[in-house]
Amino acid sequence: MIEINNISKWFGDFKVLTDINEIIKRGQTVVICGPSGSGKSTLLRCVNGLEPYQKGEITVDGTSLSDPKTNLYNLRQKIGMVFQRFELYPHLPVLRNISLAPMKVLKKSREEAVKKAMELLERVGIPEKADEYPANLSGGQQQRVAIARSLAMEPDYMMFDEPTSALDPEMIKEVLDVMIDLAKEGMTMIVVTHEMGFAREVADEIIFMDEGKIVERGTDEEFFTNPKSERTKAFLSQILV
Amino acid sequence: MFDAVARNLSFLMGGFRVTLQLTLFALAGGIVLGMIVGLGRISRNKWIYYPVTAYVNFVRNMPLILVIFWFYFVMPIIAGRPLDPFLSAVISFIIFEATYFGEIFRAGYQSISRDLINASYSTGMTYSQTARYVLIPIAIRRMLPSLITQSIVTFQDTSLAFVIGLQEFVRRTSIVDNLEVRSIQLFSFVAIIFFIFCFIGSKISRHFEEKGRRTGVL
Repeated sequence: MIEINNISKWFGDFKVLTDINEIIKRGQTVVICGPSGSGKSTLLRCVNGLEPYQKGEITVDGTSLSDPKTNLYNLRQKIGMVFQRFELYPHLPVLRNISLAPMKVLKKSREEAVKKAMELLERVGIPEKADEYPANLSGGQQQRVAIARSLAMEPDYMMFDEPTSALDPEMIKEVLDVMIDLAKEGMTMIVVTHEMGFAREVADEIIFMDEGKIVERGTDEEFFTNPKSERTKAFLSQILV
Repeated sequence: MFDAVARNLSFLMGGFRVTLQLTLFALAGGIVLGMIVGLGRISRNKWIYYPVTAYVNFVRNMPLILVIFWFYFVMPIIAGRPLDPFLSAVISFIIFEATYFGEIFRAGYQSISRDLINASYSTGMTYSQTARYVLIPIAIRRMLPSLITQSIVTFQDTSLAFVIGLQEFVRRTSIVDNLEVRSIQLFSFVAIIFFIFCFIGSKISRHFEEKGRRTGVL
Protein backbone atom coordinates (compact mmCIF):
# COMPACT_ATOMS: atom_id res chain seq x y z
CA MET A 1 0.00 0.00 0.00
CA ILE A 2 1.20 3.49 -0.87
CA GLU A 3 0.02 6.26 1.40
CA ILE A 4 0.46 9.86 0.36
CA ASN A 5 -0.20 11.99 3.36
CA ASN A 6 -0.60 15.74 2.98
CA ILE A 7 2.35 16.23 0.65
CA SER A 8 3.55 19.67 -0.39
CA LYS A 9 6.54 20.41 -2.55
CA TRP A 10 8.29 23.55 -3.72
CA PHE A 11 10.77 24.18 -6.51
CA GLY A 12 12.50 27.21 -4.99
CA ASP A 13 9.67 29.65 -4.31
CA PHE A 14 7.30 27.90 -6.66
CA LYS A 15 4.83 25.54 -5.02
CA VAL A 16 4.32 22.56 -7.31
CA LEU A 17 2.29 20.29 -5.01
CA THR A 18 -0.20 21.37 -2.38
CA ASP A 19 -1.58 19.07 0.32
CA ILE A 20 -1.87 15.91 -1.73
CA ASN A 21 -3.60 12.98 -0.06
CA GLU A 22 -4.05 9.59 -1.65
CA ILE A 23 -4.05 5.92 -0.72
CA ILE A 24 -3.26 3.26 -3.31
CA LYS A 25 -4.10 -0.26 -2.19
CA ARG A 26 -2.60 -3.45 -3.54
CA GLY A 27 -4.08 -4.45 -6.88
CA GLN A 28 -5.57 -1.04 -7.59
CA THR A 29 -5.04 1.03 -10.69
CA VAL A 30 -5.16 4.77 -10.15
CA VAL A 31 -5.18 7.11 -13.13
CA ILE A 32 -4.00 10.70 -12.73
CA CYS A 33 -4.90 13.26 -15.38
CA GLY A 34 -4.73 17.01 -15.67
CA PRO A 35 -3.17 19.79 -17.73
CA SER A 36 0.59 19.96 -18.17
CA GLY A 37 2.37 21.65 -15.29
CA SER A 38 -0.25 20.45 -12.82
CA GLY A 39 2.30 18.43 -10.83
CA LYS A 40 1.34 14.90 -11.95
CA SER A 41 4.83 13.84 -12.99
CA THR A 42 6.38 15.48 -9.94
CA LEU A 43 4.01 13.53 -7.71
CA LEU A 44 5.12 10.24 -9.32
CA ARG A 45 8.77 11.18 -8.83
CA CYS A 46 8.10 11.90 -5.16
CA VAL A 47 6.57 8.46 -4.68
CA ASN A 48 9.79 6.64 -5.56
CA GLY A 49 12.11 9.17 -4.02
CA LEU A 50 13.45 10.71 -7.22
CA GLU A 51 12.28 14.11 -5.96
CA PRO A 52 12.22 15.19 -2.33
CA TYR A 53 9.13 16.78 -0.78
CA GLN A 54 9.16 19.39 1.93
CA LYS A 55 5.98 18.69 3.87
CA GLY A 56 3.85 15.66 4.70
CA GLU A 57 4.80 12.04 4.30
CA ILE A 58 4.74 9.22 1.77
CA THR A 59 4.95 5.64 2.95
CA VAL A 60 5.35 2.53 0.81
CA ASP A 61 4.28 -0.63 2.66
CA GLY A 62 4.79 1.30 5.89
CA THR A 63 8.28 2.60 5.04
CA SER A 64 8.55 6.37 5.07
CA LEU A 65 10.37 7.97 2.15
CA SER A 66 11.40 11.03 4.13
CA ASP A 67 12.96 8.97 6.91
CA PRO A 68 16.72 9.45 6.49
CA LYS A 69 17.23 5.81 7.53
CA THR A 70 15.22 4.56 4.55
CA ASN A 71 17.37 3.07 1.80
CA LEU A 72 15.80 4.60 -1.29
CA TYR A 73 17.75 2.29 -3.61
CA ASN A 74 16.14 -0.75 -1.98
CA LEU A 75 12.74 0.86 -1.93
CA ARG A 76 12.85 1.69 -5.64
CA GLN A 77 13.34 -1.98 -6.51
CA LYS A 78 9.71 -2.45 -5.50
CA ILE A 79 8.42 0.39 -7.68
CA GLY A 80 8.88 0.16 -11.43
CA MET A 81 8.67 3.32 -13.47
CA VAL A 82 8.00 3.94 -17.14
CA PHE A 83 8.79 7.32 -18.69
CA GLN A 84 7.27 9.39 -21.44
CA ARG A 85 10.43 9.23 -23.58
CA PHE A 86 11.19 5.56 -22.79
CA GLU A 87 14.71 6.34 -21.46
CA LEU A 88 16.21 3.05 -22.61
CA TYR A 89 19.98 2.72 -22.33
CA PRO A 90 21.05 3.60 -25.88
CA HIS A 91 24.40 1.80 -25.70
CA LEU A 92 22.97 -1.61 -24.77
CA PRO A 93 20.95 -4.08 -26.85
CA VAL A 94 17.34 -4.63 -25.80
CA LEU A 95 18.06 -7.81 -23.86
CA ARG A 96 20.84 -6.12 -21.85
CA ASN A 97 18.56 -3.17 -21.12
CA ILE A 98 16.23 -5.61 -19.38
CA SER A 99 18.80 -7.87 -17.71
CA LEU A 100 21.14 -5.14 -16.39
CA ALA A 101 19.39 -4.30 -13.12
CA PRO A 102 18.49 -7.93 -12.21
CA MET A 103 22.15 -8.84 -12.64
CA LYS A 104 23.66 -5.85 -10.86
CA VAL A 105 21.02 -5.18 -8.19
CA LEU A 106 19.51 -8.61 -7.54
CA LYS A 107 22.84 -10.36 -8.32
CA LYS A 108 21.14 -12.85 -10.60
CA SER A 109 23.32 -15.00 -12.83
CA ARG A 110 23.55 -14.01 -16.47
CA GLU A 111 21.63 -17.13 -17.62
CA GLU A 112 18.86 -16.50 -15.14
CA ALA A 113 18.59 -12.79 -16.00
CA VAL A 114 18.62 -13.46 -19.74
CA LYS A 115 15.98 -16.19 -19.43
CA LYS A 116 13.73 -13.84 -17.48
CA ALA A 117 14.36 -11.02 -19.97
CA MET A 118 13.37 -13.27 -22.88
CA GLU A 119 10.18 -14.29 -21.09
CA LEU A 120 9.32 -10.63 -20.60
CA LEU A 121 10.06 -9.82 -24.24
CA GLU A 122 7.68 -12.64 -25.22
CA ARG A 123 5.11 -11.18 -22.91
CA VAL A 124 5.31 -7.70 -24.47
CA GLY A 125 5.29 -9.31 -27.91
CA ILE A 126 8.75 -8.51 -29.35
CA PRO A 127 11.12 -11.41 -28.63
CA GLU A 128 12.65 -10.99 -32.11
CA LYS A 129 14.08 -7.58 -31.07
CA ALA A 130 16.26 -8.98 -28.27
CA ASP A 131 19.59 -8.18 -29.96
CA GLU A 132 18.62 -4.85 -31.54
CA TYR A 133 19.72 -1.51 -30.17
CA PRO A 134 16.88 0.71 -28.88
CA ALA A 135 17.38 3.23 -31.71
CA ASN A 136 16.33 0.56 -34.23
CA LEU A 137 12.94 0.07 -32.57
CA SER A 138 9.75 2.03 -33.09
CA GLY A 139 8.48 4.18 -30.23
CA GLY A 140 5.82 1.64 -29.30
CA GLN A 141 8.38 -1.16 -29.24
CA GLN A 142 10.78 0.93 -27.15
CA GLN A 143 8.07 1.65 -24.62
CA ARG A 144 7.23 -2.04 -24.38
CA VAL A 145 10.91 -2.77 -23.73
CA ALA A 146 10.87 -0.09 -21.02
CA ILE A 147 7.90 -1.83 -19.40
CA ALA A 148 9.74 -5.16 -19.60
CA ARG A 149 12.83 -3.55 -18.04
CA SER A 150 10.76 -2.43 -15.05
CA LEU A 151 8.98 -5.77 -14.72
CA ALA A 152 12.31 -7.60 -14.68
CA MET A 153 12.82 -6.33 -11.14
CA GLU A 154 9.53 -8.01 -10.18
CA PRO A 155 8.15 -4.83 -8.65
CA ASP A 156 5.09 -4.66 -6.43
CA TYR A 157 4.06 -1.34 -7.96
CA MET A 158 4.31 0.17 -11.42
CA MET A 159 4.19 3.87 -12.21
CA PHE A 160 3.68 5.24 -15.71
CA ASP A 161 4.45 8.85 -16.58
CA GLU A 162 2.48 9.66 -19.73
CA PRO A 163 3.63 6.42 -21.37
CA THR A 164 1.85 7.02 -24.67
CA SER A 165 2.08 10.76 -25.17
CA ALA A 166 5.36 10.59 -27.15
CA LEU A 167 3.99 7.89 -29.46
CA ASP A 168 2.50 8.02 -32.92
CA PRO A 169 -1.23 7.30 -32.75
CA GLU A 170 -0.97 3.86 -34.35
CA MET A 171 1.46 2.70 -31.66
CA ILE A 172 -0.55 3.75 -28.65
CA LYS A 173 -2.72 0.66 -28.61
CA GLU A 174 0.15 -1.84 -28.48
CA VAL A 175 1.46 -0.15 -25.34
CA LEU A 176 -1.95 0.26 -23.72
CA ASP A 177 -2.74 -3.41 -24.35
CA VAL A 178 0.32 -4.42 -22.35
CA MET A 179 -0.71 -2.06 -19.56
CA ILE A 180 -4.31 -3.32 -19.54
CA ASP A 181 -3.09 -6.91 -19.23
CA LEU A 182 -0.87 -5.88 -16.32
CA ALA A 183 -3.73 -4.15 -14.53
CA LYS A 184 -6.02 -7.13 -15.04
CA GLU A 185 -3.37 -9.47 -13.65
CA GLY A 186 -3.55 -7.50 -10.44
CA MET A 187 -0.49 -5.23 -10.65
CA THR A 188 -0.80 -2.12 -8.51
CA MET A 189 -0.44 0.82 -10.88
CA ILE A 190 -0.32 4.59 -10.83
CA VAL A 191 -0.73 5.91 -14.34
CA VAL A 192 -0.43 9.51 -15.47
CA THR A 193 -2.23 9.58 -18.80
CA HIS A 194 -4.84 11.31 -20.89
CA GLU A 195 -5.98 8.03 -22.45
CA MET A 196 -9.50 8.07 -21.08
CA GLY A 197 -10.41 4.80 -22.82
CA PHE A 198 -7.70 3.13 -20.75
CA ALA A 199 -8.95 4.85 -17.62
CA ARG A 200 -12.48 3.64 -18.25
CA GLU A 201 -11.37 0.09 -18.78
CA VAL A 202 -9.06 -0.48 -15.83
CA ALA A 203 -9.00 2.47 -13.40
CA ASP A 204 -10.34 1.89 -9.92
CA GLU A 205 -9.98 5.58 -9.28
CA ILE A 206 -9.36 8.65 -11.41
CA ILE A 207 -7.73 11.77 -10.02
CA PHE A 208 -7.83 15.14 -11.70
CA MET A 209 -5.03 17.53 -10.78
CA ASP A 210 -4.62 21.20 -11.54
CA GLU A 211 -2.03 23.69 -10.25
CA GLY A 212 -0.53 21.17 -7.85
CA LYS A 213 -3.80 20.23 -6.18
CA ILE A 214 -6.17 17.31 -6.48
CA VAL A 215 -9.30 19.00 -7.81
CA GLU A 216 -11.47 15.96 -8.17
CA ARG A 217 -11.42 12.23 -7.67
CA GLY A 218 -13.85 9.47 -8.38
CA THR A 219 -14.44 6.01 -9.72
CA ASP A 220 -14.47 5.97 -13.48
CA GLU A 221 -18.21 6.19 -14.09
CA GLU A 222 -18.95 9.05 -11.73
CA PHE A 223 -15.83 10.86 -12.91
CA PHE A 224 -16.87 10.84 -16.55
CA THR A 225 -20.63 11.15 -16.28
CA ASN A 226 -20.91 13.52 -13.38
CA PRO A 227 -17.79 15.62 -12.76
CA LYS A 228 -18.35 18.02 -9.90
CA SER A 229 -15.95 20.89 -10.54
CA GLU A 230 -16.13 23.26 -13.48
CA ARG A 231 -12.39 22.82 -14.03
CA THR A 232 -12.78 19.06 -14.50
CA LYS A 233 -15.71 19.56 -16.86
CA ALA A 234 -13.73 21.99 -18.97
CA PHE A 235 -10.74 19.63 -19.07
CA LEU A 236 -12.80 16.58 -19.96
CA SER A 237 -14.61 18.45 -22.72
CA GLN A 238 -11.18 19.27 -24.18
CA ILE A 239 -9.83 15.74 -24.25
CA LEU A 240 -13.00 13.73 -24.85
CA VAL A 241 -13.77 14.85 -28.34
CA MET B 1 64.85 12.03 -54.05
CA PHE B 2 64.85 11.91 -50.24
CA ASP B 3 68.63 11.84 -49.96
CA ALA B 4 68.89 14.60 -47.37
CA VAL B 5 66.20 12.89 -45.29
CA ALA B 6 68.02 9.56 -45.55
CA ARG B 7 71.34 11.08 -44.45
CA ASN B 8 69.76 12.59 -41.31
CA LEU B 9 67.04 10.07 -40.62
CA SER B 10 68.03 9.12 -37.09
CA PHE B 11 68.40 12.78 -36.05
CA LEU B 12 65.00 13.61 -37.55
CA MET B 13 63.32 10.58 -35.98
CA GLY B 14 64.79 11.59 -32.63
CA GLY B 15 62.85 14.82 -33.07
CA PHE B 16 59.73 12.89 -33.98
CA ARG B 17 60.10 10.89 -30.79
CA VAL B 18 60.13 14.14 -28.80
CA THR B 19 56.98 15.20 -30.65
CA LEU B 20 55.27 11.92 -29.72
CA GLN B 21 56.39 12.18 -26.10
CA LEU B 22 55.15 15.74 -25.90
CA THR B 23 51.81 14.69 -27.41
CA LEU B 24 51.49 11.80 -24.99
CA PHE B 25 52.15 13.90 -21.88
CA ALA B 26 49.97 16.74 -23.15
CA LEU B 27 47.09 14.33 -23.80
CA ALA B 28 47.37 12.44 -20.54
CA GLY B 29 47.52 15.65 -18.50
CA GLY B 30 45.04 17.52 -20.70
CA ILE B 31 42.41 14.79 -20.55
CA VAL B 32 42.67 14.21 -16.80
CA LEU B 33 42.59 17.94 -16.07
CA GLY B 34 39.86 18.28 -18.71
CA MET B 35 37.60 15.81 -16.87
CA ILE B 36 37.92 17.94 -13.75
CA VAL B 37 37.47 21.20 -15.67
CA GLY B 38 34.33 19.69 -17.29
CA LEU B 39 32.91 18.90 -13.85
CA GLY B 40 33.79 22.41 -12.68
CA ARG B 41 31.92 23.89 -15.62
CA ILE B 42 28.69 22.15 -14.57
CA SER B 43 29.20 22.77 -10.86
CA ARG B 44 26.45 24.58 -8.97
CA ASN B 45 29.02 25.89 -6.52
CA LYS B 46 29.88 29.41 -7.68
CA TRP B 47 33.31 29.25 -6.00
CA ILE B 48 34.13 26.42 -8.38
CA TYR B 49 32.12 27.43 -11.43
CA TYR B 50 33.35 31.03 -11.85
CA PRO B 51 37.11 30.48 -11.44
CA VAL B 52 37.02 27.44 -13.75
CA THR B 53 34.92 29.30 -16.32
CA ALA B 54 37.23 32.31 -16.19
CA TYR B 55 40.24 30.04 -16.75
CA VAL B 56 38.56 28.31 -19.69
CA ASN B 57 37.45 31.53 -21.34
CA PHE B 58 40.80 33.22 -20.84
CA VAL B 59 42.93 30.42 -22.24
CA ARG B 60 40.59 29.58 -25.10
CA ASN B 61 40.82 33.14 -26.31
CA MET B 62 44.63 33.11 -26.40
CA PRO B 63 46.74 31.86 -29.28
CA LEU B 64 48.57 28.72 -28.15
CA ILE B 65 51.93 30.15 -29.20
CA LEU B 66 51.43 32.98 -26.73
CA VAL B 67 50.69 30.57 -23.89
CA ILE B 68 53.89 28.67 -24.70
CA PHE B 69 56.00 31.84 -24.86
CA TRP B 70 54.44 33.43 -21.85
CA PHE B 71 54.82 30.35 -19.69
CA TYR B 72 58.42 29.86 -20.79
CA PHE B 73 59.43 33.44 -19.96
CA VAL B 74 57.33 33.90 -16.84
CA MET B 75 58.20 30.64 -15.11
CA PRO B 76 61.91 31.47 -14.54
CA ILE B 77 60.83 34.65 -12.76
CA ILE B 78 58.52 32.66 -10.49
CA ALA B 79 60.76 29.62 -10.08
CA GLY B 80 64.00 31.59 -9.94
CA ARG B 81 65.70 29.48 -12.58
CA PRO B 82 65.11 28.65 -16.25
CA LEU B 83 62.79 25.76 -16.91
CA ASP B 84 63.65 22.81 -19.11
CA PRO B 85 61.99 23.54 -22.50
CA PHE B 86 60.36 20.10 -22.62
CA LEU B 87 58.82 20.43 -19.17
CA SER B 88 57.77 23.99 -19.91
CA ALA B 89 56.13 22.88 -23.16
CA VAL B 90 54.31 19.97 -21.49
CA ILE B 91 52.87 22.24 -18.81
CA SER B 92 51.78 24.89 -21.33
CA PHE B 93 50.08 22.24 -23.45
CA ILE B 94 48.27 20.74 -20.48
CA ILE B 95 47.03 24.18 -19.43
CA PHE B 96 45.90 24.90 -22.98
CA GLU B 97 44.45 21.56 -24.06
CA ALA B 98 42.62 20.97 -20.75
CA THR B 99 40.30 23.86 -21.59
CA TYR B 100 39.34 22.22 -24.89
CA PHE B 101 39.00 18.76 -23.39
CA GLY B 102 37.06 20.31 -20.52
CA GLU B 103 34.44 21.64 -22.91
CA ILE B 104 34.15 18.22 -24.56
CA PHE B 105 33.62 16.58 -21.18
CA ARG B 106 31.11 19.23 -20.14
CA ALA B 107 29.06 18.55 -23.27
CA GLY B 108 29.33 14.80 -22.66
CA TYR B 109 28.09 15.08 -19.09
CA GLN B 110 25.28 17.41 -20.10
CA SER B 111 24.12 15.20 -22.97
CA ILE B 112 22.70 12.65 -20.55
CA SER B 113 19.12 13.43 -19.60
CA ARG B 114 17.93 13.59 -16.02
CA ASP B 115 15.25 11.01 -16.77
CA LEU B 116 17.73 8.49 -18.14
CA ILE B 117 19.43 8.64 -14.75
CA ASN B 118 16.01 8.42 -13.08
CA ALA B 119 15.19 5.36 -15.19
CA SER B 120 18.31 3.67 -13.90
CA TYR B 121 17.54 4.68 -10.30
CA SER B 122 13.97 3.41 -10.63
CA THR B 123 15.28 -0.10 -11.30
CA GLY B 124 17.04 0.06 -7.93
CA MET B 125 20.52 0.82 -9.25
CA THR B 126 22.72 2.90 -6.96
CA TYR B 127 24.57 6.07 -7.93
CA SER B 128 27.84 4.22 -8.51
CA GLN B 129 26.13 1.45 -10.51
CA THR B 130 24.37 4.08 -12.59
CA ALA B 131 27.63 5.92 -13.19
CA ARG B 132 29.49 2.74 -14.08
CA TYR B 133 26.99 0.97 -16.32
CA VAL B 134 25.00 3.88 -17.76
CA LEU B 135 26.49 7.37 -17.45
CA ILE B 136 30.17 6.83 -18.16
CA PRO B 137 29.73 4.31 -21.02
CA ILE B 138 27.27 6.60 -22.79
CA ALA B 139 29.31 9.76 -22.15
CA ILE B 140 32.50 8.16 -23.46
CA ARG B 141 30.79 6.81 -26.58
CA ARG B 142 29.36 10.23 -27.26
CA MET B 143 32.65 12.03 -26.64
CA LEU B 144 35.02 9.61 -28.31
CA PRO B 145 34.97 11.21 -31.79
CA SER B 146 35.59 14.69 -30.33
CA LEU B 147 38.27 13.38 -27.98
CA ILE B 148 40.15 11.77 -30.84
CA THR B 149 39.79 14.85 -33.04
CA GLN B 150 41.11 17.08 -30.25
CA SER B 151 43.98 14.61 -29.72
CA ILE B 152 44.93 15.00 -33.39
CA VAL B 153 44.85 18.78 -33.02
CA THR B 154 47.09 18.48 -29.95
CA PHE B 155 49.53 16.34 -31.94
CA GLN B 156 49.69 19.02 -34.63
CA ASP B 157 49.94 21.81 -32.07
CA THR B 158 53.10 20.33 -30.53
CA SER B 159 55.15 21.67 -33.43
CA LEU B 160 54.62 25.15 -31.96
CA ALA B 161 56.98 24.18 -29.15
CA PHE B 162 59.86 24.93 -31.56
CA VAL B 163 59.51 28.61 -30.58
CA ILE B 164 61.11 27.92 -27.19
CA GLY B 165 63.91 25.92 -28.76
CA LEU B 166 62.56 22.48 -28.05
CA GLN B 167 64.13 20.03 -30.47
CA GLU B 168 60.97 18.38 -31.67
CA PHE B 169 60.30 17.17 -35.18
CA VAL B 170 59.90 20.52 -36.95
CA ARG B 171 62.77 22.15 -35.06
CA ARG B 172 65.18 19.36 -35.95
CA THR B 173 64.05 19.46 -39.56
CA SER B 174 64.84 23.15 -39.71
CA ILE B 175 68.28 22.46 -38.18
CA VAL B 176 68.96 19.88 -40.89
CA ASP B 177 67.68 22.28 -43.51
CA ASN B 178 70.22 24.90 -42.42
CA LEU B 179 73.00 22.44 -43.18
CA GLU B 180 71.61 20.66 -46.21
CA VAL B 181 69.53 23.44 -47.77
CA ARG B 182 66.90 21.02 -49.05
CA SER B 183 63.80 22.80 -47.74
CA ILE B 184 61.19 21.32 -50.07
CA GLN B 185 62.38 17.77 -49.61
CA LEU B 186 62.76 18.02 -45.83
CA PHE B 187 59.53 19.80 -45.05
CA SER B 188 57.61 17.58 -47.48
CA PHE B 189 58.83 14.63 -45.46
CA VAL B 190 57.57 16.23 -42.25
CA ALA B 191 54.25 16.99 -43.89
CA ILE B 192 53.84 13.39 -45.08
CA ILE B 193 54.56 12.00 -41.62
CA PHE B 194 52.11 14.40 -39.96
CA PHE B 195 49.51 13.67 -42.61
CA ILE B 196 49.75 9.89 -42.20
CA PHE B 197 49.31 10.04 -38.43
CA CYS B 198 46.51 12.58 -38.51
CA PHE B 199 44.71 10.85 -41.34
CA ILE B 200 44.70 7.52 -39.50
CA GLY B 201 43.50 9.34 -36.37
CA SER B 202 40.66 11.03 -38.21
CA LYS B 203 39.62 7.70 -39.75
CA ILE B 204 39.45 6.19 -36.27
CA SER B 205 37.41 9.14 -35.05
CA ARG B 206 35.10 8.75 -38.04
CA HIS B 207 34.70 5.05 -37.33
CA PHE B 208 33.51 5.72 -33.78
CA GLU B 209 31.23 8.48 -34.96
CA GLU B 210 29.53 6.21 -37.48
CA LYS B 211 29.31 3.40 -34.98
CA GLY B 212 27.71 5.77 -32.48
CA ARG B 213 25.23 6.97 -35.07
CA ARG B 214 24.38 3.42 -36.14
CA THR B 215 23.61 2.30 -32.63
CA GLY B 216 21.83 5.54 -31.80
CA VAL B 217 24.11 6.51 -28.92
CA LEU B 218 25.07 9.87 -30.48
